[in-house]
Amino acid sequence: MNNRLMGVAILLLLSVLGNAQDKFFTKSGKISFVSKGTVETITAKHKGVTCVVDSKSGAIQYAVLMKGFEFAKALMQEHFNENYVESDKYPKADFKGMVSNNSEIRYGQDGSYPAKVKGTLSLHGVTKEIEVPGTIVVNGGKPQLNASFSILLSDYHIKIPAVVKDNISNTVAITVDCALEPLKP
Amino acid sequence: MRRRTGILLGIALVLAVVAIYAYREFHRTNTNLAEVKADVTVGAVPLVNEFLANDSVANVKYQNKILAVQGVVKEVTTSEGDCTVVMGDTTGMSSSVRCLLDSAQAAFVGNIRRGDVITIKGAITGFKKDETGLLGSDVELNRCVLDSKQ
Repeated sequence: MNNRLMGVAILLLLSVLGNAQDKFFTKSGKISFVSKGTVETITAKHKGVTCVVDSKSGAIQYAVLMKGFEFAKALMQEHFNENYVESDKYPKADFKGMVSNNSEIRYGQDGSYPAKVKGTLSLHGVTKEIEVPGTIVVNGGKPQLNASFSILLSDYHIKIPAVVKDNISNTVAITVDCALEPLKP
Repeated sequence: MRRRTGILLGIALVLAVVAIYAYREFHRTNTNLAEVKADVTVGAVPLVNEFLANDSVANVKYQNKILAVQGVVKEVTTSEGDCTVVMGDTTGMSSSVRCLLDSAQAAFVGNIRRGDVITIKGAITGFKKDETGLLGSDVELNRCVLDSKQ
C-alpha cells in the first residue's frame, strides 16, 4: 500500500517537473516603441517585461507596468503617464494568446523559427484582438522571442490632445525582445 | 518715449524668462534618485505582503512615491548592462521586490551578493500580480540607487 502511494507521489512529482520544463519565462524582457510625428519622434523603452511561454501548448503571456517606460525627457514621460495612457488608472498592459503555428517550432532544437502569435492585447482599459508576426530563436535550449508590430492609439481610446494632434502620430511601432529561461519548479 | 522703451524691455525680459523656462522644462531629464530623499522607508517583505493582501489599497498608498526598501538580496541579474536586484524572503515566498538599477550604479553591483542586507531607493512603477501561479508577484522599482549595504 505504502509502495503504491509512493509510486503515485513520484508520478505526480514527475508530471509537475515535466510541465514546468515545458515552460520558459523572463521578468527582464525588453519592449520599446517609436511614434514618428511631423515635428518630433517619441521613443521609450522598458526593461521589465514579464513573459511566459508554454512550449507544449503554445500559450503565451506578456505583462508590463506602464510606469516602467523610460523616456529621454522627463516631461514626455510625465505626459505619457498622466495624459495619454493614464497609468494611475490603468497601471498594466498585457497580452494573452497562442503561438498559432506552435507545432512548427522545435523548442528543443537550435534554430530560427518564424512564429505567428494571435491573442488579446489589453491597454488603457481596452482589450482588442491582434495577430503579430515574430521570430523564435532557440539557442542552447533557450528561446528568444522577437516581434515588431504597430498599433493605433485610437483603437485603445488613447486621446491625443488637440493642441499637439498634428505633431503626434496615431500609429505606434512596437518592438519586443524577450530572452527566456527554463522555468524551474 | 522712455516709458515705451521700458515697457518693451519688460516684455522682452518676460518673453526671455518664459523661453528659458520652456527650453529647460522641455529638455529636463529624470532626477538622479541619489540626490532625492525617499518619501517612504519600508521593508521588502512587508511591502510585498501589503500588495498581496490588497493591491488596490497599496497602489494608492505608494503610487508615484520614492521608496527606500530594506531587505535581503535574493538575486542579482545583469543583462546587456542592465542590472536588477531582487529583494525579499529568501526562504520560500516567490513574490519579491524587483529593483532595476540606474545605469550609473553599475560600478556598485559587483559588491552585492545573495543574502546581503541592503537598502535600495527607487521610484515605484507598480505591482505585477502573478496570474499564472508560476512566477510569483512583484513590486517593481525603477531608476534605483544603492542606499546602503549593512
